[in-house]
Amino acid sequence: MQDFKLKPMKCELNYLSKSDGSAILSQGDTVVLASVNGPMDIKTVNQSIEKATLEVLFCSKEGKPSVADRYKENIIRHTCETAILGCLYPRTGITLTIQELENYGGLLTCAVNCACLALINSGVGMRHAVAALSCCVDGAGELVLEPTHAQATAARARLHFVFDSREKSLVTGFTEGTFSEGTYEEALARCRAASDLVFAFYRDIVSNYCHVI
Amino acid sequence: MTEVYKHIHPSKYFNDYINQDVRPDGRDFDQQRDVIININGITSADASAIVKCGNTTVVCGIKLELARPKAEEPDIGFLISNVELLPLCSSKFRPGPPSDYAQVISNIVSDIVINSKCVDLKDLCVVTDKLAWVIYCDLVCLDYDGSIVDACIIALITSLKTLSLPTVTYDNETEEVKVDTGVKIPLQVHGLPVATSFGIYHKLPRNIILADPSAYEEEMCGGIGANLIVCWNKGLFCGIQKFGGCNLSTEDEKRTISLAKQRCKLVEQVIETCIKNGEVK
Amino acid sequence: MKVSVGDVVLPGDYCEEISPKDEKSRVVIGPGLRKEVDHVYITKAGILKKKNPHTYWIDSYQKRYVPIRGENVIGIVTQKAGDIFRVDIGGSTTAALSFLSFEGATKKNRPELQVGDIIYAKLVIASKDMEPELVCVDSFGHKGRLGVLNDGFMFKCPINLVRKILNPKCPLLDSLKNEWPFEMAAGMNGRIWIKANSMRESIALGNAILGAEFLSDSDIKKMCNNIAAILAGHVS
Repeated sequence: MQDFKLKPMKCELNYLSKSDGSAILSQGDTVVLASVNGPMDIKTVNQSIEKATLEVLFCSKEGKPSVADRYKENIIRHTCETAILGCLYPRTGITLTIQELENYGGLLTCAVNCACLALINSGVGMRHAVAALSCCVDGAGELVLEPTHAQATAARARLHFVFDSREKSLVTGFTEGTFSEGTYEEALARCRAASDLVFAFYRDIVSNYCHVI
Repeated sequence: MTEVYKHIHPSKYFNDYINQDVRPDGRDFDQQRDVIININGITSADASAIVKCGNTTVVCGIKLELARPKAEEPDIGFLISNVELLPLCSSKFRPGPPSDYAQVISNIVSDIVINSKCVDLKDLCVVTDKLAWVIYCDLVCLDYDGSIVDACIIALITSLKTLSLPTVTYDNETEEVKVDTGVKIPLQVHGLPVATSFGIYHKLPRNIILADPSAYEEEMCGGIGANLIVCWNKGLFCGIQKFGGCNLSTEDEKRTISLAKQRCKLVEQVIETCIKNGEVK
Repeated sequence: MKVSVGDVVLPGDYCEEISPKDEKSRVVIGPGLRKEVDHVYITKAGILKKKNPHTYWIDSYQKRYVPIRGENVIGIVTQKAGDIFRVDIGGSTTAALSFLSFEGATKKNRPELQVGDIIYAKLVIASKDMEPELVCVDSFGHKGRLGVLNDGFMFKCPINLVRKILNPKCPLLDSLKNEWPFEMAAGMNGRIWIKANSMRESIALGNAILGAEFLSDSDIKKMCNNIAAILAGHVS
């Protein structure tokens, strides 16, 4: 197995006292705060008799809602919906609020990881954990795992993947720029292998507190 | 009787079809719906196209405008696309401001167009820092029956391919702009991005990949919208988006890529033929 | 990932140890575990615990209550509606408490309960598809320890803390009960009600309980001694 280097990750669970689950995560210089509330009562119109309704709110640093934020919310909502065992909580709602604090590249992957940690902290039943990773293709066509902000802006293409913790299959993927089929497959394989590090980090964070609860 | 069954046991009804290796509309799992294109249907627009993929119908109209380029990027023009999902096209959409879903689709479509670099925005600049073309692409869905992104991209690219820009003369001293609609230069479109949508249906022992899903199939695969959109443009990918639905294994992913490539060739042919026929007239 | 008893687990891990040894033996899987086609999967992050012979569960961190049948909870009466009281127990919906499920209650002799009262009750119906239902009597019609909690002070805490202090092995209550007299009711929904002789003692008790959340057993003993010493005026 190759030696992968991810950006240094730091995390604090249960950062907020009033929400049911929360996490603050920094990956490199990018910092995101996520809070989960639920399962709780929601409006009858939004209730689903089959599963919990997940509502995701992404607050950017500028505070102005934009079309790009809706897109991010959509990605996070779809990702978390597959991770949560919503069928355990029918007719209820789970709210996930994500606040961007610092953005030095890799905001969306950091937000997905942070959301997953907040969900783990909240004790909501989950099918699996998720890990998001990003990869970029630089000018020479070389793959760079977890690029820095400068590398990512100069890159020809940026690829982001989210994997589940069970079989490491692809939960969510989204790309920017153009790339060849070979590049795509290599990026996917490399991110998949590196996802182990993210899951090991999650386990580390959980083991910090769970022996004394 | 089947209608009642469909409403009482929606997932079981669908599952019964899948177990027989056929989809409710009679297609095979890999089979796409037919694509019909009509160009320049709207005479008041600078370029337009109407696309039907099965029942899904999208109209694209392009309007040209002149504007001053942004100060930070003085040598490029603008390409602005917007997708509208009105209550007309499906009961899923309510009147009012654009829904979250419409915003997401708009974002995906404009991302694909920008990422594929099919239009060089520098071509749109007339005079650096003074004058540039703005291409407004309005996409309106008339009938929503799944795989909306595919139809939008076809409509948008076909319209762009038929678009020609009038010549503009700009007087540096008087700042006077003269537009000569008599002499038109066709817009350079590099490549031809084609998007292909897939639904991923959860089934044991292995998931089923449904190419070009209808609205009903999309719903069965975990909510509104396709699960996987692969966009292929002349040998390169310009966007692979996967949201929700079931998790995708490596073999399934390879299959979808080869299917997307096949479809790309077909759609290319349709678009080329359509434009050629249009020119003859 | 494959895990075994005593490990730190994450959602999506599976445990092969959890399986019936022979046809007759039964395995009980508790919170945080879920059987799917091939394996028993973990759904919550925490520690996988086992009680002989075949009972398994996950000790996890949780603040939000999801009603479970048979648990004793502390609720607040929010509404009187017809024959029932609506009680907020911290779950996604309010629970129903019938006028008749009190000791000695009849159609004529209604219990005197006001909106805003705190009650200690048992959940008799709790399922994901139905409204939870509470009672304040046991199956013999006695109230036992259930009923209205008068005076005192109620505060919220994480659910795992309630589980921790109710664990017979936890030294917290053992250490505190010898120091000063108090009454206490712990609801499995993460609410604790306490009553002591003075405000000072109530605050000390509340702080001792909340402070125990992330402490080990020996640290809890130390903390209790410390608080007792401060309360007795030995340390200022």
